[in-house]
Amino acid sequence: MKNVILLTIDTLRKDALGCYGGGNPTPFIDSIQDKCVRFTRAYSCGPYTQAAFPGILTSSYYLEYGRQKVLSEKRVLISQALNTTGITTAGFHSNPYLSAYFGWNRGWDVFYDSMEDEVDDKVPYIKAGEINKKVAAWLSSHIGAGEYRAFFLWLHYMDIHEPYVPERKYIDMVDPSIRLDEEEMFRLFKDVVLKRDVSDKGTVELLRKLYGAHVREIDDAVREFFGILEQCNVLKDSAIVITSDHGDEFGEHGGVSHDGKMYSELVNVPLLIYEPSREKGKVSDLLVSTLDIPPTILYLFGLNPVDAFEGCSLLPLQGYPIKGSFGEAVDKHGSHEKGEEKEVHYYCEGDLKIIYCETDDSWELYDLNSDPQELNNIIQTSHGAEPMKQKLTPRVRRY
Amino acid sequence: MAIDKEISEKRKRQCAKLVDMSKDIVRKAFDRFKPEELGVTWTGGKDSGLTLWIIREVCLEKGIPIPKTMIIGEGDEFEEIEEFVERYSKEWVVPLELCRNDDVLEAASHTLGATVKVKDLNERNQAELKRIAFSEEEFPFEAESEAGNHLMKTVVFNQWVERHNLKGVFQGLRWDEHPARFNDEYFEKKEAAHLIPEHTRIRPILHFTEKDEWDTYAAFNIPHCTLYEQGYRSLGAKTTSLISIEGVPAWKQDLENTEERAGRRQDKEKAMERLRKLGYM
Repeated sequence: MKNVILLTIDTLRKDALGCYGGGNPTPFIDSIQDKCVRFTRAYSCGPYTQAAFPGILTSSYYLEYGRQKVLSEKRVLISQALNTTGITTAGFHSNPYLSAYFGWNRGWDVFYDSMEDEVDDKVPYIKAGEINKKVAAWLSSHIGAGEYRAFFLWLHYMDIHEPYVPERKYIDMVDPSIRLDEEEMFRLFKDVVLKRDVSDKGTVELLRKLYGAHVREIDDAVREFFGILEQCNVLKDSAIVITSDHGDEFGEHGGVSHDGKMYSELVNVPLLIYEPSREKGKVSDLLVSTLDIPPTILYLFGLNPVDAFEGCSLLPLQGYPIKGSFGEAVDKHGSHEKGEEKEVHYYCEGDLKIIYCETDDSWELYDLNSDPQELNNIIQTSHGAEPMKQKLTPRVRRY
Repeated sequence: MAIDKEISEKRKRQCAKLVDMSKDIVRKAFDRFKPEELGVTWTGGKDSGLTLWIIREVCLEKGIPIPKTMIIGEGDEFEEIEEFVERYSKEWVVPLELCRNDDVLEAASHTLGATVKVKDLNERNQAELKRIAFSEEEFPFEAESEAGNHLMKTVVFNQWVERHNLKGVFQGLRWDEHPARFNDEYFEKKEAAHLIPEHTRIRPILHFTEKDEWDTYAAFNIPHCTLYEQGYRSLGAKTTSLISIEGVPAWKQDLENTEERAGRRQDKEKAMERLRKLGYM
């Protein structure tokens, strides 16, 4: 493929998309499924941005290289791997954790992280529409009159991330009976989300709907982005990987937001590969990881694998190995209570998923086939418990 | 005071061209707005200094005074900058106004790091803190803290624009200063919002790189602050600006392959502030 685009959407739950069987439609994303491979069992390497993005952009795990806040020089960003081959690399986003200050600007010919721009005081990031405008401006200058260098474009939308303050028109699409104004929605963020208060089920459901309204907003932004690609006449020459760094919790395991739990609502993320030449859609139930994205991008460009990348190319599907998926993070909530950093890990293989939480030295095991909501811990009763423990144990406190 | 750098005739002509482009922007601004509707922001640094020098050239050619100029007093200034600004505001006849948030300075007893209690501030400052959703009862007096930065810089700037009914404000931003600037325009209209007056930002030197800038300083013998000779490349508040290479003048450093603003504490503060608003930290 001439160009590859990576579109990451912060905080997007898999079940928020219509094509994944979520209750609410996402009309545009649902409409492109006939040109996509859709992975149903894609796992993020972590439950929040800092823990997830080393997988997505460097094909390495969060707790490797000594857990620095700033990206280790030893990690190779996909932009660095591509930049040396003559492919133009451009990144556009507005997530402070991925800003130049934290070292994510390596290898990009163009890198926009919004840190020099003014942002809204309450919703402190540049919205998807603005990101699209910047991408459109860059793209048209890059394409110029006709002949242009192949490019790798990464864009990341923040709009779903709390505070949930969607526009009226999107709230109406989800539930027109919600009559909150911006001030009231922001109050919910301060009083309920920030306090992790799930005592009132009705309020948590209300938050879920506001979140859903943001998802509709993002669906429109993705539609607009595809329109830009079409207008620039590059859609037909571009493969597009669409995924998310993590989901969001709405009371499924006693909390809201995303602090470091490892359940499916946070780590089982959407993953789509759009290929313009594809004749019909494909659904893959392979167990895969977002760690596999950088090798997949190399594959799409027809380039050789890079040693530093720990994942495997997702394409061609029949060549993908049967393997498990790991994820790791610092349990922010537990660490705060204990006064020191506590790790949390998971490992998924076949239908089993094991979670280790250092905060209270606890193990959990779930059978995702019979218990997809991960409510019934079978660590004491399952024959699978021991072998799964043995696979995860070497990864705990290994650096 | 002159910069000890040899500039070839060819390079001089190139710099003159860049200056001409900037003069055109300034002339366009004077076509679009009346002189009394225009203002200049000056910091004593190299970007706003070059901008002011170019505006002055256009004013000399038109036979009009330099528009109202402001400098922000954030309570953490380099003496070298103060001396430089004092000297050239006189020499160039700059109608300079020192703008400060005296209410905050008093609440902090003019002491860096002192704790400012929100309830001790006047109504406008309290309203401004509300506007940025700052809900704590106190904050440390530092220009780079979230509340400090807003009250000491943004508010002071907005009030100055409002006070003089300015329609256009000259700024010394450059495209190459930061990758995020690549899309900025020479004229950008800012819409009015709560406590923010409508105005147009005018950026005559957007197209200068850092190297172009120092070559132009040398070619035209434009005065600069002595701190750049000590090795500073980017100047902000005194306690948060860092020397890039001790004793090596800015124009002798490797401008093209190293970061102009590496290690500025502002970048960290800004990231932290946004993360806090997203519910982290």
